[in-house]
Amino acid sequence: MVIKRKGTGEKSPVLYFILPALILVGVVLIYPILYAVGISFFNWPLVDETSRGFIGISNYIRIFQDKEFWHALLLQLGFIFIAIPLELIIGFFVAILLNREFKGVKWIRSLLLLPVFVLPVLSGLTWRLMLQPEYGAISFILTKLGLPQTAWLAKPGSAYAFVIIQDIWRMWPFMFMFLYSGLINIPTSLLEAADLDGARFWNKTLKIIVPLLRPTITTALLLRLIDALRIFSEVFVMTEGGPGNATTLLSLYIYKQAFRYFNIGYASAMGVILIIISLIIAILLVRRNIDID
Amino acid sequence: MKKKQIKKNFLILLSIIILIIELFPIAIIIINGFKKDIDIWSANPFSFRPSLDSYKKIFQRKDILLGIKNSLIVSTLSTTISLLVGAMASYAIARFRFRYRKVLSYSFLISRMIPQISLAIPLFMMFRSLGLTDTLTALIFAHMSFNIPYVIWVLLPFFSGVPIEYEEAALVDGCDKRKIFWKIFLPLVGPGLVVAGVFTFMMSWNEFLYALVLTSTQAKTAPVVINGFMGQYAPQWGQLAAAGTLMLIPIFIITLTFQKYLIEGLSGGIKG
Repeated sequence: MVIKRKGTGEKSPVLYFILPALILVGVVLIYPILYAVGISFFNWPLVDETSRGFIGISNYIRIFQDKEFWHALLLQLGFIFIAIPLELIIGFFVAILLNREFKGVKWIRSLLLLPVFVLPVLSGLTWRLMLQPEYGAISFILTKLGLPQTAWLAKPGSAYAFVIIQDIWRMWPFMFMFLYSGLINIPTSLLEAADLDGARFWNKTLKIIVPLLRPTITTALLLRLIDALRIFSEVFVMTEGGPGNATTLLSLYIYKQAFRYFNIGYASAMGVILIIISLIIAILLVRRNIDID
Repeated sequence: MKKKQIKKNFLILLSIIILIIELFPIAIIIINGFKKDIDIWSANPFSFRPSLDSYKKIFQRKDILLGIKNSLIVSTLSTTISLLVGAMASYAIARFRFRYRKVLSYSFLISRMIPQISLAIPLFMMFRSLGLTDTLTALIFAHMSFNIPYVIWVLLPFFSGVPIEYEEAALVDGCDKRKIFWKIFLPLVGPGLVVAGVFTFMMSWNEFLYALVLTSTQAKTAPVVINGFMGQYAPQWGQLAAAGTLMLIPIFIITLTFQKYLIEGLSGGIKG
């Protein structure tokens, strides 16, 4: 990396610029990943560290036999395959809806983005408040609509549903923003007739807009996929993974194994699997979209 | 003609309804901050007797003030360091040709996508063996794992956009590359630094998992403290909402000020 320049004997300054970032990233990212891979081959109970020992790939074998892991993976896949398509569809149609000028539309477009940036912790806790059976705003509305008063977060099915709804609320504006930015690059002449009237609208949407936006859609989907795969905070504060393990998604299960049951080695092995899945998606994303030259 | 007008009004109305639904939970946070706990627990969530009770309470609590202070310190320092070393690295990737350049820059990009929980475990073990658990230092370093790669990629287009003539002129004047970077380049990519800095700050400000794992009392950041308001017995919703509203202020300011850059900021160098 250091190239001597002819005659001057001066070292190329590349290292001077790269090294600080490289060292810091090495310490907080590269080393921890290697460390995680290392401990994943150990039985490492935090409660009694003297009993830790090398066990080869036993942790990885255990993952495959762990019913709770498969349950978490299933919940995660359900979460991904329900939330993301709905976010995409809502985002897409709102992008078309708001791709017109009227008074205040700029404000609507930017205010819609607020939920994306709200602290995940606050989002989860707010939904928890709104779903309180006796005094939550959403429970109140649902009761007024004729549903029986229910502790929505205390029932496995509805808790899982609301965890997904919370994510849709937070993230469809992200999709909207991405697709809208793609939409404004499409010449208006192409969109002109694609207004909201029945058959022509659908025809236009499917034949013109979707193909033109395909690269944007794919990028947005991959970005969301990477994020949805590692979701933690919102769900953790909203339901703590409960009731039972009805909302214990992958990150929550790994957290439980590491910091509740103190099985650091086993949790690390699952963490490594999660890294591998994420990297595969990330490489797909990067290969599609990026060329730094 | 008339039909067109009706349709247009209908679409505007639809947009407004969507916005109201979308902002409803945020309104719930803000409104509940101005309620007494006892009013929140009373039956109707839409009755409202404004009170500053919850705000008075949180300003008397040491934990939330400490939490906000910690959040500020961690976000500011982590952002500053990440901007500095990130800008240097980004400049090198944009302006120099060297072996492993591509591999290096892609690795930086991909590293941002590593799940936090997978890193939280080794980071916890590392900081524990260094005796740094429950310190702001640990958090500041942990946050660099996502902030530095982020800064590098957000700044790349800004650095690449600077015309090559600037450098050539400076080189003729006998400045070396280092001087050129600090004196000429950094001021030129000022807007980029602002965007990268603002988003880095926001990511740190919102971060919860590392704070949860790496802190216990002294170094708790505001999100962890707020989550503690759920309590063992009765959740203190009023104070939770008041503290949450305070935490939202920088978020509101940033998102409404930097509307133009939100997409760049969110995708961090990945374009559709």
